[in-house]
Amino acid sequence: MVNILEVRDLRARITGGREVLKGIDLTVAPGEVHAIMGPNGAGKSTLSSVLAGKPGYEVTAGSVLYKGVDLLSMPPDERAREGVFLAFQYPVEIPGVNNMYFLRAALNAGRRQRGQPELDAQQFLKAVKEKLKLLDIGDDLLRRAVNVGFSGGEKKRNEIFQMAMLEPNLALLDETDSGLDIDALRTVSDGVNRLRDPGRAIVLVTHYQRLLDYVVPDHVHVLADGRIVASGDKHFAAELERTGYAHLCDAA
Amino acid sequence: MLITDDSAPFQEAYRHLLAGTDQPDWLRSQRQAGMERFTDLGFPTRRQEAWRFTDLEQLTAQPRLPSLDGAPPLPADLLEPWRLAGKTHRLVLVNGRFEPALSTIGTLPDGVWLAPLAETVLRRPDVAAMAFGADGNAFAFLNAALFTDGAVLVLAPGTVLEMPVEIIHYSTGDTQVSAHPRLRVMLGDGARATLVETAAGDGNGWTNAVIDVTLGADAELTHVHVQGEGADAAHTSLLTAELGSRARYRTFALITGASLSRRDMQVTLSGPGAVFTLHGAYLLDGGQEATLAVRADHKVPDCRTEEVVKGVLQGAAHGVFLGTVAVRPGADGTDARQLNRNLLLSPSTRVDTKPELEIFADDVKCSHGATVGSLDEAALFYLQARGIDPVTARSMLVAAFAAEVIDAAGLEGEVEALLRRHLARWLGGEGGLG
Ligand SMILES: Nc1ncnc2c1ncn2[C@@H]1O[C@H](COP(=O)(O)OP(=O)(O)O)[C@@H](O)[C@H]1O
Ligand SMILES: [Mg+2]
Repeated sequence: MVNILEVRDLRARITGGREVLKGIDLTVAPGEVHAIMGPNGAGKSTLSSVLAGKPGYEVTAGSVLYKGVDLLSMPPDERAREGVFLAFQYPVEIPGVNNMYFLRAALNAGRRQRGQPELDAQQFLKAVKEKLKLLDIGDDLLRRAVNVGFSGGEKKRNEIFQMAMLEPNLALLDETDSGLDIDALRTVSDGVNRLRDPGRAIVLVTHYQRLLDYVVPDHVHVLADGRIVASGDKHFAAELERTGYAHLCDAA
Repeated sequence: MLITDDSAPFQEAYRHLLAGTDQPDWLRSQRQAGMERFTDLGFPTRRQEAWRFTDLEQLTAQPRLPSLDGAPPLPADLLEPWRLAGKTHRLVLVNGRFEPALSTIGTLPDGVWLAPLAETVLRRPDVAAMAFGADGNAFAFLNAALFTDGAVLVLAPGTVLEMPVEIIHYSTGDTQVSAHPRLRVMLGDGARATLVETAAGDGNGWTNAVIDVTLGADAELTHVHVQGEGADAAHTSLLTAELGSRARYRTFALITGASLSRRDMQVTLSGPGAVFTLHGAYLLDGGQEATLAVRADHKVPDCRTEEVVKGVLQGAAHGVFLGTVAVRPGADGTDARQLNRNLLLSPSTRVDTKPELEIFADDVKCSHGATVGSLDEAALFYLQARGIDPVTARSMLVAAFAAEVIDAAGLEGEVEALLRRHLARWLGGEGGLG
């Protein structure tokens, strides 16, 4: 089966600035959950931003195949419609744009791309209710403008809710666990676990072990100074817990 | 020395217009006085502080004179986009002339006068005379000299007009004609009405309107102004309003049309407890030049002014917001807020914004602010990262920015729906976002 993600020697810099990704190799097969850990400033968010197509970065070398096709030549909205989902480390507040209106527009954009009929307001509402129940999220977030006035935890829950609605093939979660209390962490990890599926892949960027107690990864990587300096299986996370990654970073 | 006199062609037109017409003496002398004042003043120039940012070159380069003939009949469907849905008292003027075929004034309750100005001159000269004040600017004086028609709305004290009054001035034709509609609104104590005043068109004419509003004690007027003139048209209008005790004057100004436009609003709060609110938006594209110049004059204690005006500009458009709140000596307890926010969608646009306070009283609460910014890149990316294409994403953000001021105005029913429809059309159509 074709890999969901194949990153080969990816190098990228901040436009007009310094190189942040210095040769990343990463292969993610369908059904797998990968965790990427590493110190602050290592380039974890840069990697997920480059994969999602955020402006402000320049890829200088390497390639990224998503389900066998060149991801980097697609504009960000097309990547999303093709099933790439980035849960933002810092979800953006959008005053005046209603959360439900936004999500329906997003969902239908993807459906159009796949040749599926658009959901009307009623069908959409039904889908929303199902997911909310599944994730145990209240519906009060939906009436508000996108992320406006949401607490940190609400913003992260909203990201997970969007992910659940959009059902991506590749989910990139950038520190979705940071700053969450234990309840919110459960919601988030439940959401991720529910998305686990033989046809999907999930990449969890995280700073802490905590999340990995709830979402057990197939592979764990350490990203330091723009490179993946060590990889292991699910036991590797526990090992890192004991040893820390300082010694790995020095090696980099 | 060669002196170019801007007013000469208008004096000529004035003589032609009046030749052989049967004007009552009082009106003839009003027109005469208007012509003299205009001749004295001439067109404003950018050397005058209040006109510093408004380039009238387009208007003065070639005089746009009133047409002596009526316009050809207008297909009714041309008006469709500009009309309020539902039942209204509708009065339509085309190139400055009343069009009975397009109007439905309908049945009026007791205590209400609503008629074209020319008809009012004939039937109720005492009422028509009140449509002519001594004050104004050069454009208003020119209007007094050259007007062919307009409208008069008078409500007796305590009268409530449930159906909105809709006055549409439509400008058509490609021969650079001008029209000078004149509108007079008087609400007696405790009277209440809703007025939608629309200036629309498809030609390259010039509409030069005067709107004069007087509100008695406890009167309430909701006044929506929509300016959607044709892309090559010019629009000037002077609105003056005088507010009695506890009168509430709630206004909305939506400006999307004309290549050159200027709306002056001079609101005098002359009875304690009067409230003036202005919400508005100018949505500009291409080479459009638009000025909204608002002066709120607080003469007595405990009045309130609230202004929220937003601008969305793209292409090489130029928007100007001039907002002055004057607080006269003794007008203690004044509460005045002014906010002008602008969204620039392209680097060639320009905004001049000048919210100002002239305070000569103690114990007042006044604030003003202005912002000029571009679309939030982070928000744009967020929308795209969820699969929304960039054009739709931009349009969603612009719509959200502009719709906020419609939400804030708290209008209801068909009047609010009309504004949302105009906004949607701009976003999806000539605004070029769609
Ligand atoms: N848009 C940006 N502008 C300037 N510096 C950036 C930008 N994005 C990332 N960086 C820098 O690149 C490095 C990697 O950042 P990031 O990818 O956010 O790290 P991580 O997510 O692993 O903490 C840091 O030194 C950070 O300051
Ligand atoms: Mg990060």
